[in-house]
Amino acid sequence: MRQRLRDPVTGLLFVLPVLVLFLIFRIFPSLGAAGMSLTNWNIGGDWEFIGADNYARLLDDVNFWLSLRVTLVYVAIYVPLTLLVALGTALLLNQVVFMRGLFRGMLFLPYVTSFVLAGIIWRWIYEFDGLINGLLAKADLGPVAFLEQSAVILPALAVVSVWKGFGYSMLILLAGLKSIPSSYLEAATVDGASAWQRFRRITLPLLKPTIFFVVVIETISAFQTFDTVYVMTGGGPARATYTLIFGIYDHGFRSFDFGYAATWGMVLFAIVLIVSLVQRRFLDRGNT
Amino acid sequence: MTITASRPVTEVRAARAARRRWWRGKWPLAALLAVLSVLTVSPFVAMFIVALSPAGRPTVPVRWPDSLTLDNIARVLESSGFVTWTVNSLIYAVISVVIILLTSSMAGYAFAKKRFPGREAMFWTFLATMMVPFQATLIPTFVLVNSLDGVDTFWGLIVPTLANSQAVFLMRQFILGLPDELFDAAKVDGASEWRVYWTIVVPLTRPILATLGVFVFLWHWNDFLWPLVVGQSDATRTLTVGLTTLRTEELQLSVLMSSAAVSVVPCLVVFFLLQRYLVNSIAMTGLK
Repeated sequence: MRQRLRDPVTGLLFVLPVLVLFLIFRIFPSLGAAGMSLTNWNIGGDWEFIGADNYARLLDDVNFWLSLRVTLVYVAIYVPLTLLVALGTALLLNQVVFMRGLFRGMLFLPYVTSFVLAGIIWRWIYEFDGLINGLLAKADLGPVAFLEQSAVILPALAVVSVWKGFGYSMLILLAGLKSIPSSYLEAATVDGASAWQRFRRITLPLLKPTIFFVVVIETISAFQTFDTVYVMTGGGPARATYTLIFGIYDHGFRSFDFGYAATWGMVLFAIVLIVSLVQRRFLDRGNT
Repeated sequence: MTITASRPVTEVRAARAARRRWWRGKWPLAALLAVLSVLTVSPFVAMFIVALSPAGRPTVPVRWPDSLTLDNIARVLESSGFVTWTVNSLIYAVISVVIILLTSSMAGYAFAKKRFPGREAMFWTFLATMMVPFQATLIPTFVLVNSLDGVDTFWGLIVPTLANSQAVFLMRQFILGLPDELFDAAKVDGASEWRVYWTIVVPLTRPILATLGVFVFLWHWNDFLWPLVVGQSDATRTLTVGLTTLRTEELQLSVLMSSAAVSVVPCLVVFFLLQRYLVNSIAMTGLK
């Protein structure tokens, strides 16, 4: 019967559907992206091999550097903010017994909806005659043009994404907190450690791998921001929200400059690869 | 938790006393958590209030209206585009769930319990494709589907999203944990491979299939970028994409919010039915 378990044909047959899907729609386009970035492929399907020209064009492209800066600033705002909110709510949920399930559910709720929905609701919240400005007016303040000011728009978008997504990281962090043996914390309490000391000396070090995981996945997802930009700002005002993915979409599906859009895609791939490699290095170090 | 159940009575009493002591010291934390939870849910509440209020600019801050009405919702459901988009989203999500569950459980079984040439290489290639973000291969995937005349068709919308490495990975991990003896015994009884899969693998993986099914449904229901570039007419446009086309028209806020509210109902149903389940599975598997 061991012999039959080794039967190579059935194994291959069971993998076959997934294998075919992967070869055609994941692996082939992945290689295609690299190849395409070396051509001037356009909507008509005409193309010529132009070597590294697209990459040279990229380096000279003011919009590319602007887009990279916009994306990096967005990541720099979004990642700490979402970590702070997720960790804060996870710590609270870990401490509070009273109606814990209800609170956890309410905090997690936005995660199951779409960024498009989040964008539609929050556009109204931010609008000139929207919800926040209405509240500000009651207090004889404002109005603030959230969606029209370059300086305000990236934090405003980050808030939307944090609202929509922090529930997921919160649950991961909560699981991490639950895995910390309560005896450590009890022993520290007996020894007279304050709440802050217990957090600083016990919780935080033991939670570090989980925090690191959350930072990595949130960083990668922040680099891929598109839906909220498309719904709320369309890349504006004055390209203040022109993120990398928006650049790919813009060059691919507005200018139909497929070769050059693929080059932008390669930059995104490189960034995600670097973040993943850094993660692997840290995790390996953590294990040894 | 069986551990709590088997604890001696004195310990349970001590825990109860500790909980009471806890409540005296920590009620501010519970209050803070309650405030944060209410804030998180409030954009949804505001959306539903506007959707159910008589048409016209809502009063800000949003108050409970003097009379509730279903007129806006009815108007949304009467517009033919909206119904078509909803049906399209359902087709996109449900077909994807069925095929992904089937193909990934078959592949997961083969990767976990079968030996065949190239198994390791194939599996690691699948894992490696997780590092290539979909957006980086967006352009070549679109060009490929376009050259096969798949733009604005259902197969063009659905098939490229079926290569889901996370699903394959999860299924393999889960099936690895099932004892080999089960499969050996079925073989001794002379069951065919397909029968083994259908009568042993599928029933035993039901919990993980259910979890994965829910997530695949939410991912596809909420998906945006791929449906945006492929579904170019109402015939294949999904709800998320359709909602973004509403915004550009001059539309009353109450109708826009009604559309948004209706679009989120399936997610809310899934959420309320399976909340505890979703929460646990994220904590255990890190499903994104």
